[in-house]
Amino acid sequence: MTFEITKEWCRKAGARDAGFDIGAGLIAADPMFTHEGGADDSPEASRLALGRFISLMRRNQGLSIEDLAQKADIEIGDLFSLENNAAHLPDARTLYQLSEVFGVSQEKLMGLSGLTHSNDDHYVDEAVRYAAKSASVEVLSNEEQSILNGFISVLSENGKSK
Amino acid sequence: MIATTPSDVTPVWLTNRSTKEVVDAELWHGIVDKNLADWEAEWIPDLQRRLKLLNQQKVERRFWPQSRHWDWRDKLREIERRLANLSFALVADGMTQAMMTIDLTKRARLTDHEGQHLVYIDFLEAAPWNRNDLAEEPAKFSGSGSILINAAIQQSILEGFKGRIGLHSLPQSNNFYANACGMTDLGQDTNYENLRYFELDPDSARSFIEKGKGE
Repeated sequence: MTFEITKEWCRKAGARDAGFDIGAGLIAADPMFTHEGGADDSPEASRLALGRFISLMRRNQGLSIEDLAQKADIEIGDLFSLENNAAHLPDARTLYQLSEVFGVSQEKLMGLSGLTHSNDDHYVDEAVRYAAKSASVEVLSNEEQSILNGFISVLSENGKSK
Repeated sequence: MIATTPSDVTPVWLTNRSTKEVVDAELWHGIVDKNLADWEAEWIPDLQRRLKLLNQQKVERRFWPQSRHWDWRDKLREIERRLANLSFALVADGMTQAMMTIDLTKRARLTDHEGQHLVYIDFLEAAPWNRNDLAEEPAKFSGSGSILINAAIQQSILEGFKGRIGLHSLPQSNNFYANACGMTDLGQDTNYENLRYFELDPDSARSFIEKGKGE
């Protein structure tokens, strides 16, 4: 079914809209917006931490996105979105495959993604803090390596959770 | 599977900002593969070019357009099997000029309408060349925002929601929704990245639809 919108209405809309921007919708979590408030406690913050963790692990293993997608048997687009779009909600299989490749807890990756919620989500806060400490460079620096080690410790099956 | 043709096409008109002339356009009911191809092949390179200009002008990143990471293919993939989500695209000059996705499951927050169904606009974005927040180049077409809001209202009426719509505005667009659309500003939403939430009640929706006719 089509709508009725007249040419005259559109003409007036065109004059009225000039100079306005019209964007609406979730920002999609660029790290730079977290300091503007509101994101730190949102699922996007922990998803951002998940994306940063995956990116660090991938680079630490010297893998491209394509390489890791192939190794984990997951979609390249899904992996790219996981690393770059905190609004992207991955499916459980993707996280399972990644947890297998990285040797960390699938349950905790699920918690970080927002797919699940546990009573003890202290590791989520810790992971977000580790993510906040990391910076994007081509090769892992010693500091990033240290951050990654902390990440692994937190997200391992027996990692600290209190 | 993204569709290749829209389910319906409503004729509309956009205004060329430099000539002030109205040009023929189409409101496509359903974002299709062509729109996503336009987004990938035309929107993204143009956006990157404009971001480069902003960077060269040393504009702080926090003032760059917040929607620059949006992935419309990803957004469509997320909703393609959901009956409660619809999408629209505006096409003129053979090119996609703006896109919108809506959700029919959300409820109103305005005091007198709390809990009533509304059409919630998940995402709405104009092509980079139709925007004012990207470097010094003037927008090419105007009118796409109001036309998409009009479409959301008419869809709301079709669904029996009496024209009620709601959305979270990007910071640079707050003026448009408050002043050009007459939506009620319900303030910053701490659960939604502190974006401001706007809602239109049935009376205001009717007024918006009639604005172009009655003035």
